[in-house]
Amino acid sequence: MNTAANYSSLGSSRLLGAYLGDIKFEFVKMMRTPAFIVPTLFFPAMFYVLFGVIMGGGNPDAAMHTFARMGVFGTMAPGLFGFGVSLAFEREYGLMTFKQALPTPPGSYLVARMAVAMAMAAMISILLSLLAVFVAHAPLTFLQAVKIFVVEVFGVLPFCAIGLFVGAMVSGQAAPAVVNIIYLPMAFLSGLWVPFQYLPIALLKDLAPLWPSFHLSQIALGAIGMESYGSFGSHVAALVGVTLLFFTIAMRKLSGGGLYLFGARRPGAGFPVGKVISIGVIAISIGLVIAGVMSGHEKVPAATSKVATQEDGTPVAGSSSGAPVGVAAPDTPALGDFDAGSVAVGYGLGWQAADDKLRGGNSSVQQKLFAGGASGSKSALEVSGTIGDAIQYPFGGTVFFPQGSSTADYAKWGFMDYSKRQRLKFQARGDGQQYLVLFTGPVVDAIPAMFYFTAGPEWQEVSVPLQELGALDLERVKMIGIGTMKPGLFRFQVDDVRIE
Amino acid sequence: MSGATLASLNATVKRFGRITALDQLSLSIGRGELLALLGPNGAGKSTAINILLGLQRPDAGTAELFGQDPQDLDARRRVGIMMQEVGLSPAMRPREMIEQVSNYYHSPYEVDAVIKRLSLESLADRRYQQLSGGQKRQVQFGMAICGRPQLLFLDEPSVGMDVTAKAALWEVVRDLKREGCSIVLTTHNLEEAEALADRVAFIMHGKLVASGTVDEIRAVVSRKTVSFRSALPLDSIRAWPEVEELQDLSGRLQIFTRDAEAVLRRLLGGDSQVRDIEVRRAGLAEAFTELTK
Repeated sequence: MNTAANYSSLGSSRLLGAYLGDIKFEFVKMMRTPAFIVPTLFFPAMFYVLFGVIMGGGNPDAAMHTFARMGVFGTMAPGLFGFGVSLAFEREYGLMTFKQALPTPPGSYLVARMAVAMAMAAMISILLSLLAVFVAHAPLTFLQAVKIFVVEVFGVLPFCAIGLFVGAMVSGQAAPAVVNIIYLPMAFLSGLWVPFQYLPIALLKDLAPLWPSFHLSQIALGAIGMESYGSFGSHVAALVGVTLLFFTIAMRKLSGGGLYLFGARRPGAGFPVGKVISIGVIAISIGLVIAGVMSGHEKVPAATSKVATQEDGTPVAGSSSGAPVGVAAPDTPALGDFDAGSVAVGYGLGWQAADDKLRGGNSSVQQKLFAGGASGSKSALEVSGTIGDAIQYPFGGTVFFPQGSSTADYAKWGFMDYSKRQRLKFQARGDGQQYLVLFTGPVVDAIPAMFYFTAGPEWQEVSVPLQELGALDLERVKMIGIGTMKPGLFRFQVDDVRIE
Repeated sequence: MSGATLASLNATVKRFGRITALDQLSLSIGRGELLALLGPNGAGKSTAINILLGLQRPDAGTAELFGQDPQDLDARRRVGIMMQEVGLSPAMRPREMIEQVSNYYHSPYEVDAVIKRLSLESLADRRYQQLSGGQKRQVQFGMAICGRPQLLFLDEPSVGMDVTAKAALWEVVRDLKREGCSIVLTTHNLEEAEALADRVAFIMHGKLVASGTVDEIRAVVSRKTVSFRSALPLDSIRAWPEVEELQDLSGRLQIFTRDAEAVLRRLLGGDSQVRDIEVRRAGLAEAFTELTK
């Protein structure tokens, strides 16, 4: 006959085996439920291809931005459906009661479900990263892909908590509808379909930080160096708050119905410890959510100041920033002669086509090198395209980031100190329209310093008097751009760019 | 933990709103015994089991499982459970379901041994959703016994099973008992209780009405039934002082009596043509009827 001793505990290896077994069979169940796995995996991928690739028109910024947003969209589903719908059904059909009567190890139900939700998010993240790199040709670095992977895998947790809450509250019949009513509108309102800045009604835009998916998407955008709103800390606070809040309410609701996912608690001696703890946790989590939501709208200056992502801001002098003085410019005046068959400059990222799609515009831009540059040089750069009229300040042209780097995020790109230089000179010709040279500095919202010129049929030198240009912080130049804001077709060529 | 008692309710009270589901109920399950818990619907059987499994807490009195609080995981690691209605995952296979549950126990049987013992070989690798109701019950029985339990709770185990499956189930239950496993059986099938139980507990309105061995319970009902075919007029039979009740089952008459011998003497004396005489002592069914009157 067995004595108490050999039954009294499982031993750590068998206990671990029990948890792993539950995780394993949770996976088995998931893999055999195509109605769950197919939409969860393939909808985000399908929408990414649709919005980021087909409708993005090959714009790398659009491909990146949509990548982050669709990744978050994909991250929401496993937790919401995996917990919400399944728990509601399992409660209704007595499976939860059965599991509780069995010697199921504490919390293994939650652990197994969470593991599956995180694995699903991981699969979605990898799938989208592959699509981003190989199909959308987005400039996604390996480091960024790793970052977004971490963000998305842990990003499932608040949605697991919301799912748990729904599953604890509603019947199995109602759960799918309730989850969808949460899932799809929340995705839209938090700016996953279109960036939240472009939501149709101002109120919706203001309310975006109420949704946990907003905070996760801003973290995701920040992780891949795109412009984001609100600080990382505020987003984490909001998400941790949401997770704790819904988790605690769900636990209370379940235990009220006699279900204890972590094993039953002994009745306390008079003092309701459990209740006090839950009320405390709820209060703290509400505080976190409020703190996160309230600071959700502040734009992060450290995010990219690239012209294509710049907001239509009020004119603020470019020098009003407390940012440190940029790196001293290299001695060479050359900023690209395009003769070596590339758009590279001796430093920075080289000249790149830029448009306004990420700000909601519909301009499109191409650039190419062609043989026969100015003054008999080997080749020059041609930039052409169409400026759309979808936004107030459209833009198309070519841009150069002196401190740009392919290994770091946009947000980390620094400034260059050109304060010793007098003039930016280059050769230009074109379709006879007026074009502009613009410079941006550390203040994202500032209207850039601008210099207009006309590109006629013959090569001619454009000389920009840097020291006389208003609102130009020469010590902190983030970007130099040449292009146009005038709607319609355009075409111009530049060669032999120098800063002297 | 006392030597012989594995689980017990001690003056347990459980109320749901204004309804008293258990009213000072005391019950104990000894080592190696099979206790059948009987009673009409709503008598409190399920509540008693739920409290013993830690699913509900008593409002007064105590419940012990292996000398511990039933909500202790350690206590429940010695217990196997077959619930009456549970919707298990349709996509899982019986082999996997038994494996998953056996993971929770200290020294479970091999999954294959359980499958073999219950002759589930042909079902083990099919999807649970493809099984019939009776087959599902067999799988649930496998999940109940796979942890090598010292105490097994079976709630209406044979519902939906065909005759063969039921007989096989009873055989395994008897084997388990021989191996020293205690069993608490709740059933509506009195034949099942009669076939398996060492001890029977009748519960009504949350109270223990009667408890004892099957024979002791039968003895509660001292009446016997005498059934036969006879040409004697019903009224004259009904007039015999020993006859407590007379039923006419389409030609076959049935007498309930405390003195079967006297009835037989009168029958044989009064009707030389009397045929098909059968005398039975009361079964659990009669006892049940008697007790729940």
